[in-house]
Amino acid sequence: MAANIGANDLANAMGTSVGSRAITIKQAVVISTIANALGAMLAGGYVTNTISKGMIDPGLFMDDPNKLMFGMFASLISAGLCVNLATFYALPVSTTHAIVGAVVGFGIISVGIDAVNWSKIISIAASWIISPAVGAVIAGSIYYFIEKKILSSKDPLKAFKQYAPFMIFLVFLVLILSIIFKGLKNLHLEFGFFEIVLLTIPCAALCGIFSRNWILWRVRTGKLHQEQREYSPLESIFAQLQILTASYVAFAHGANDVANAIGPIAAIFSVVKTKAVILQVKVPIWMLLVGGIAVGSGLLAFGTRVMETIGKNITEITPVRGFCAEFGAATTILICSRLGLPVSTTHVLVGAVVGVGIMRGMGTLDLRILKNIALSWIVTLPFTILLSMFLYKLFIWLL
Amino acid sequence: MRLLLSSLFYRSPFENLQKHADKVKECAQIFKEAATCYTKKQWEKFEDLTDYVAKLESEADAIKRNIRNHLPRGILMPVDKFQFFDYLREQDKVMDEVEEALYWLSYRPEGLPDEVIDDFIDLVDSVVPAIEKLPQLVTMANGFFRTKSEEQRTKMKSLIHDIHQYEKEADLLERELKGKAFSAIKDAKVVFHTVEVVGIVGNIADHAQNASDRMRAMIAR
Repeated sequence: MAANIGANDLANAMGTSVGSRAITIKQAVVISTIANALGAMLAGGYVTNTISKGMIDPGLFMDDPNKLMFGMFASLISAGLCVNLATFYALPVSTTHAIVGAVVGFGIISVGIDAVNWSKIISIAASWIISPAVGAVIAGSIYYFIEKKILSSKDPLKAFKQYAPFMIFLVFLVLILSIIFKGLKNLHLEFGFFEIVLLTIPCAALCGIFSRNWILWRVRTGKLHQEQREYSPLESIFAQLQILTASYVAFAHGANDVANAIGPIAAIFSVVKTKAVILQVKVPIWMLLVGGIAVGSGLLAFGTRVMETIGKNITEITPVRGFCAEFGAATTILICSRLGLPVSTTHVLVGAVVGVGIMRGMGTLDLRILKNIALSWIVTLPFTILLSMFLYKLFIWLL
Repeated sequence: MRLLLSSLFYRSPFENLQKHADKVKECAQIFKEAATCYTKKQWEKFEDLTDYVAKLESEADAIKRNIRNHLPRGILMPVDKFQFFDYLREQDKVMDEVEEALYWLSYRPEGLPDEVIDDFIDLVDSVVPAIEKLPQLVTMANGFFRTKSEEQRTKMKSLIHDIHQYEKEADLLERELKGKAFSAIKDAKVVFHTVEVVGIVGNIADHAQNASDRMRAMIAR
């Protein structure tokens, strides 16, 4: 399951960077494996909690912990099956959505409709629609800003120097904030809100100034031109920034999607270990790490081929566009996983790419794919709900 | 799911637009050669070249149809789709008019009267460079929509300005030639033929200019 996520989702997530030739496939694999594992470890806890206990109330399984175990197992299998089937039929189904559907399905069949925390489910389903839109708005606005202030200016390099610290500052700000807000909680470090703000802003500012100077130094010494001949100097600058945003996407992906695969396992694990359902399912950090590594190995095994295909197909992405799309997507995903809402990295990224497109920043986009995505939302839920119901009954009957 | 991101990207119509523009340029060069053959009364070669232009025109038509048929609704482009089609139409009309001009020449194997031959060659010489700039314009546009760089936009604007200059020149020559046809040629049939041919050659430049104006609108800020 985690390996599957690695090959598909993460390859999609890195596709915008590989497509713009900002990074090579090898670099993409390395960056995403590391950032993804970090994301899962530092920031994955929230979503994992939602998956393993936010959607259904584990308290209802007090009398028979095995039920919960079987159910989570059934959910994993049916979600995996659904995703593989959908991949076969080329439907853009999200692993996230499949898992959510499957957990809901087993909740209904095992305890009843009441076991499902419907208000949580509704907020999750709403986030599926809202998150690509938010990704689109963020990515689109950033693109609009860059086009108006930098690309269209008389001296783009000078304009870049002027705005770069601010932009890089923003990237680091969101990144550091998300790490501190959630990740450090996992490491049992608690900060007050003001302490966080006090800590984050100078940190991000320092990173911003440092990165800007580093990039400008690379431009001055002419190193960039040899690496990216096909683009103007400005584009190659953004190619450097894209390494940052690409890691950011992989990090956000780790925070969100790894949790999806780990969530049910975490629930199973706690049942096996304690032979009882504890209300506070604590997700061990090693489990998140294992998830991150599993995703990484999936990427190593299958991702290269997927990325090659994507890189070949997406020539329309330039570093500037890729930067905007990735920044918008990663920010949205981090906000959503902060709120404990499992969203699909791929769908948010598609939303962000379309957002840049609406600002007239993309090449030719086929919006008909959005209809397929909407269709997959409608298909995934009933399918995984029914399948996990069936598998759950089968397990109970067999054992 | 695995190719979700790449299935979001649709093949850019600029690729085919470039092919179409290249055909138009080739057509313009053949047209120049054919017009020279006509004035030198190399009849056979002229006919061969005319046939070749007709062939090019039908190939370009196929490309044009391909572009139009493969831009379904729900495709998001960096430019307004209708502006894009407007440009394509004008670029295609350039070719239609080139073909039409050659047909009109072929209607009178006797050739143009000596009084207007030099001016006619001048006219052709001022029209052809305007057409030859079109593929370059398309290449630059493709680059511009990728980078949105102001530098590229300025270069395009100056190229469009060049096309306007050629058209202006062609316009003057066209007026002069038409006047000369009426004053110097006695035979009404010949006058009619000359005026018609000159008018059509003038139209070629007009359409090249229209195309460049559409391009100007596409890159407007």
